Amino acid sequence: MARSAKAVPWFLFAAGGTVLSFILPVMIFTTGIAPALGLFTDALSYDTMSAFVGNWLVKLVLFGILTLACWHAAHRLRVCAHDFGIRADTAVAVILYGLATVGTATAALALVSI
Amino acid sequence: MNPRKPYVRPISKTSWFMTQGRYKVYMLHEISSLFVAIYTAILIIGLVRLGEGEAAWQGWLDAVTSPIGVIFHLIAFVFALIHTTSWFKAVPQAMRIQRGEEIVPGKLIVGAHYGVLAAVSLFVLILAGVA
Amino acid sequence: MSERTIELEVLRYRPEQDQEPFFQTYKVPCEEEWVVLDALNYVKEEMDRTLSYRWSCHMFVCGSCGMMIDGEPKLACKAFLKDYPTGKIRVEPLSNFPIERDLVVVLDDFVEKLESVKPYIIPKEERTVEQGEYLQTPAQLKAFKQYTLCINCLCCYAVCPQYGLDESFVGPAALALAHRYNMDSRDLGRAARDDVVAAAEGIWHCSFVGACSQVCPKDVDPAGAIQQAKFAHGIDYLTSFLPGGKR
Repeated sequence: MARSAKAVPWFLFAAGGTVLSFILPVMIFTTGIAPALGLFTDALSYDTMSAFVGNWLVKLVLFGILTLACWHAAHRLRVCAHDFGIRADTAVAVILYGLATVGTATAALALVSI
Repeated sequence: MNPRKPYVRPISKTSWFMTQGRYKVYMLHEISSLFVAIYTAILIIGLVRLGEGEAAWQGWLDAVTSPIGVIFHLIAFVFALIHTTSWFKAVPQAMRIQRGEEIVPGKLIVGAHYGVLAAVSLFVLILAGVA
Repeated sequence: MSERTIELEVLRYRPEQDQEPFFQTYKVPCEEEWVVLDALNYVKEEMDRTLSYRWSCHMFVCGSCGMMIDGEPKLACKAFLKDYPTGKIRVEPLSNFPIERDLVVVLDDFVEKLESVKPYIIPKEERTVEQGEYLQTPAQLKAFKQYTLCINCLCCYAVCPQYGLDESFVGPAALALAHRYNMDSRDLGRAARDDVVAAAEGIWHCSFVGACSQVCPKDVDPAGAIQQAKFAHGIDYLTSFLPGGKR
């Protein structure tokens, strides 16, 4: 047997899981449930959001959360695939980590262009 | 002749998790990642739309508040709570803190996590409410 | 002392005559305070001498009598009949292991894995008898004491789905024991165990189902040990790429 490089995605998974456990419920409420309830309409208006996300510190925090969320989900879905009986682990890993890379890059580009 | 003939009991690779309650609970935790992935994608698309201008952003908001959008976010919210509670429950196992000859009780570590969760949630809600 | 009849459904497998296992029911007159092992001993002594199972100490120390009792891996000597009010108890050999005969499973795979993690102290420096013992403070002992309590009963392997699905996984007890030595202040063997412990088949194969820790009769918490090991070996892996890092 030989030492595995799985330490890298595992650290991203663990860090992401920790950050998400604190922030995810309130984030989903704020961006996904509150608008339907008519709450936070000012905060979610185009002008306020543009100004808010325009702040470099907010950009940095959002990029951190979104990146960790991408890699957390990708790694856990890889385990899920195995648990559901899919044994093509290399292909699954390439696809899922590939999607996480695309997500990370898209988030970075979007944040830079705001 | 070798009289040994070990018998291997078969296990289903695709439905093993239905055989025990604790496996079903585990799979529920794991499946939360699907909702994390979709929600994250929605947020990233939101940022892209925000950068494209006011009309694009309004389109994103309309999609989020559409019936399908609301149903998805409600389910995702439940899975987020499943993720949070199961993650906190596992923390004392993964992170053992020793002070001298004593191991810090798990309840204390979990309690501190719920404290941080409350503080973070309050902070985000105030931020959204004040803006 | 009151007596009660227990219906013991035992999975039988006699390799010289059976193609596959089958359940045999014994109606066993039991004392109220008996454990499942007592009932099995009664069957062996009074009813059916062909029944095979492992046991030794009858006091949760030797780890020989691990078996599935109503689908849950337990020590038969620790499974009290009073906890089974229906009076019907199903006894099977430990899941995830090949059946050698009746309730006896094949342990070869586990023993091989146990050896592979080097479960002994690899000292910082060899000391002669004249130099005296390796000293350790109570706090240093506390850091790993919990993980020394494993009795190799294999209840954790029987409930670990990842081991059941893929027996290349080193598994809970062996990895927890590796962690026990890695956490020992007298030991300097983490790098020597790295090849097995930090392999894909080692700690990284664990997906933290956590079932092992739920069933462990000695509260060893192998799942916790493995997550802690992921962190320690993960840091080792990442720092190995830094200047001066050991690869």
